[in-house]
Amino acid sequence: MTTKRTCIEIQEVAEAQTSAVLHLCGDLTSECIKSITEAFDSLIRQGKTFAIADMSGVTLISSAVLGEFMGCRRRLVEHGGEVVFSGLSLELRSQLNLMGATKIFRICTDIRSALNYYRWEIERRSETISVSFPPSLKLVPPLRQLVSRISRQKGYGHRDSFRIETIVDEICNNAVEHGIPGASDPVDLSVTIDPDKIEIDIRNASDPEKAASLTAMLLPDNGEIDKLKPDVRRGRGLTLIKMLSDELSVDCTSRGTSVHVKKIREE
Amino acid sequence: MAKTEEQKGPSNGLSCNTIQFPFSVDIRFPGDLDYIPAVRKFIAEILQVSNFDSKFAYRSEIIVDELCTNAVIYGCRNDSAEVRLGSTIFEDHIEFTIQDQGGTKDHLRRLKSAVKRTDDIKSESTREEGLGLEIVRMLSERLEVVIDEHDVTSIHVTRKREDERKGTNVVS
Repeated sequence: MTTKRTCIEIQEVAEAQTSAVLHLCGDLTSECIKSITEAFDSLIRQGKTFAIADMSGVTLISSAVLGEFMGCRRRLVEHGGEVVFSGLSLELRSQLNLMGATKIFRICTDIRSALNYYRWEIERRSETISVSFPPSLKLVPPLRQLVSRISRQKGYGHRDSFRIETIVDEICNNAVEHGIPGASDPVDLSVTIDPDKIEIDIRNASDPEKAASLTAMLLPDNGEIDKLKPDVRRGRGLTLIKMLSDELSVDCTSRGTSVHVKKIREE
Repeated sequence: MAKTEEQKGPSNGLSCNTIQFPFSVDIRFPGDLDYIPAVRKFIAEILQVSNFDSKFAYRSEIIVDELCTNAVIYGCRNDSAEVRLGSTIFEDHIEFTIQDQGGTKDHLRRLKSAVKRTDDIKSESTREEGLGLEIVRMLSERLEVVIDEHDVTSIHVTRKREDERKGTNVVS
């Protein structure tokens, strides 16, 4: 359903019930303020508190209009929503940046990115990325960087991202080093991330001789920290993962070993 | 440039510190542009640890960026759609396969025409539209598109090594 306005058009989003796209066009001058205010009032009345302002047809945003957007944003935020700008030209984006507006408004490249942001922030929907790779330690640094970059891109802080990176490094190293010697089976890494936590799963073709010792290390309060000797260089991986994560479980079967780690966002 | 080193015991005589060519890395990510910078860097780093030089890695990164961006923008029609990037790394070349659920009929027609297009029949408008694929074509030896009966779209790209560091099938 599309409703025509003088300089603004509202489009409902079928798959995102509390959001709507406001298509704006031309020069947004003070003459548009009334219709912008009415459009936002209408959205709030309909319970659509997440507004995507599509600026792809906009050639100018006056400071008065920007001020009105700030007021509208405040009202949406009071109702638990948000307004994001999408489709801004390079010039407009630069102008908003100079005015400091990019610190207030979330800027998305297009409507799709804005809807992804909605699903992430409002619906708190998780997303999964999976990688299948051959068992080689050479590939572990790129993998840890991949997961770290994704967590930072998704808004996790430096400390959380570094801890996640360390967990990925340890579990990938373990999966490669303790897999069946010479096996060509790939290692499968899966990362599920949402705004509150990250869950990491890894599965390899494991050496059955090592499975028992791995399970023993995970028994609660087995005192493995006390057993660690300062002169021993290896064997701290799982202990470190336990320290950095909120949940760690291992499942050893004839098909391989699966390790699951959950890390709750702290920052 | 194969090095001898203390082996950890695998039966095929290769340590887990080595990479044996060819090998494949498969990555699946949601249809969201946010993931592309991390994915392109990941591929570049995989190539660098596989002894490809930084220029080759950077140019391959551009290919991945262009094709994954197209896959997300045109080939992901619903919010659960994902993109699959398969990379097979040989000692003298790499092969990428980028797969998505397929775009609209119009997008698929444009894609097929952009892949088939040759330099001499380009018009000004098509040059603008197909810029991403033009760059991919410039940087690769082979570019082809396969669309199955369910519109699942796979783009295959082959790119040969440019540097002189070849001649071993193991990197250690």
